[in-house]
Amino acid sequence: MGGYGDVQLLRDDGLRLDGRKIDEMRPMTIEAGVLPAADGSAMVTHGLNVAVAAVYGPMEAHPRKIQRQDRAVIDVRYNMAPFSTSDRIRPGYNRRSREISKVTAEALESVVLVERYPRSKIRVEIEILAAEAGTRCAGLTAAAVALADAGIPMRDLIVGVASGKVEGTVVLDLDKAEDNYGQADLPVGILPNTGEIAFLQMDGDLSPDEYNLAMEYNFKAAAEIHEIMVDALKRRYEGGEN
Amino acid sequence: MVELVPTLLRQELARLAEDDLRLDGRGRWEGREVTLETDCLYNAEGSAKVVMGGTIVYAGVKFELRTPWPDRPAQGSLMCGAELRPVAHRKYEPGPPSPQSIELGRVVDRGIRESGCIDMESLCIVPGEKVWGVMIDIHVLSDGGNIFDACGLAAIAALRTAVVPAQRFDVGEDYTLKVKGTPIMASFTRVGGRYVYDPSEEEELGGDERIHITLGDEGHLHSLQKGLRGVFTPAEFAEIFEVAHLRCTELRELVANQEGN
Repeated sequence: MGGYGDVQLLRDDGLRLDGRKIDEMRPMTIEAGVLPAADGSAMVTHGLNVAVAAVYGPMEAHPRKIQRQDRAVIDVRYNMAPFSTSDRIRPGYNRRSREISKVTAEALESVVLVERYPRSKIRVEIEILAAEAGTRCAGLTAAAVALADAGIPMRDLIVGVASGKVEGTVVLDLDKAEDNYGQADLPVGILPNTGEIAFLQMDGDLSPDEYNLAMEYNFKAAAEIHEIMVDALKRRYEGGEN
Repeated sequence: MVELVPTLLRQELARLAEDDLRLDGRGRWEGREVTLETDCLYNAEGSAKVVMGGTIVYAGVKFELRTPWPDRPAQGSLMCGAELRPVAHRKYEPGPPSPQSIELGRVVDRGIRESGCIDMESLCIVPGEKVWGVMIDIHVLSDGGNIFDACGLAAIAALRTAVVPAQRFDVGEDYTLKVKGTPIMASFTRVGGRYVYDPSEEEELGGDERIHITLGDEGHLHSLQKGLRGVFTPAEFAEIFEVAHLRCTELRELVANQEGN
């Protein structure tokens, strides 16, 4: 976290620079089944973020050394498009995307009933088309909806959501400026039905009380996002708008 | 991955071709419906999304300041690349750029570059020192067949909406990139022994060689490419060349209408 200190992120009226309240998230839309070539897919727009996830499989796991005799492995690739950020990103994997891919895969393996598909592989491809803070959460949410869209059995969805701290105040869902100049970021993946946590990262500086408040905001927002996810899946399968 | 389908698929496609039919009911020179959306990505200086049947492609334009090539001190540069990432189809594997994605990017690049639609000298800021590098990145999200035409269309549509971010780089005011002309690609694949326009995924799977033609506003050729195993006759080329003119004109109008909105 930068913590430059010279950028005012909270207005005198207590609202944030973009007019949100401190426990208000940016607008979110989710659509399931957006990619015809994939077995399951979803697009999440969250503020100015655009994340797309595709699921292929379950399929034969190769090379063989990645096979597990008792369960499927989930192979996640989180990738930012070259034009997704202010400065162009050179195509290819980097340390950040490798780490996010790894922890996202482990989170998804915690909800997918992987023991149903021994020796197989489920491919999850997360592509970030536009990035404005919060892409790992948008990607995780998109991946969960795409897995459900692919008809892969899961014991719950996962909702990606983040809170953080700016100017000593805990706020829900940091935008780009807040992420750059804020003091902490706490992205989590919440199982909406069980209230368990499958994804957790944090950087910055939070007191135990601030952590508790940030987590409270995250759970409140997760319930809202869960409704949007379920709605997207219902529209897909009830033959509504799609 | 081994494809087990093609033998049966090839027989079916050949049978349909005898009656001049296609698997999805289209006429031989009929394209699928195309939708084009521009300015759809927040961080790109120009962007476009193309949907063509089951094919979905995004293109984004970014600019960077760079020193010019020594032999062209007063010219900027243009680069167009395509990524066939594993998101787009189960047949694409992760890893370094494949020969297919390099071919795709280079064919689109040539069509745009050789049409001369970008005045490279207009991209010069300080001769010999500072010029704009224009980068078009094409991202295929879903391969439902004929990604070449979709990529070509997305690339030129994104370029035509691009705004040069001069302010952000401290070299003056932002301005719209000058693009004169709209080069458009038309692709044909041999299916069941004869060429068809805008091949679908199944037609590519059970078809043979392909030909890509990029035409400029005046109908001049700017890029040609033959891909995959197979041969064709001059008469066959003359026939598809006529069709390419018609289809390119229609798609050029689609780009113009999108800009008019």
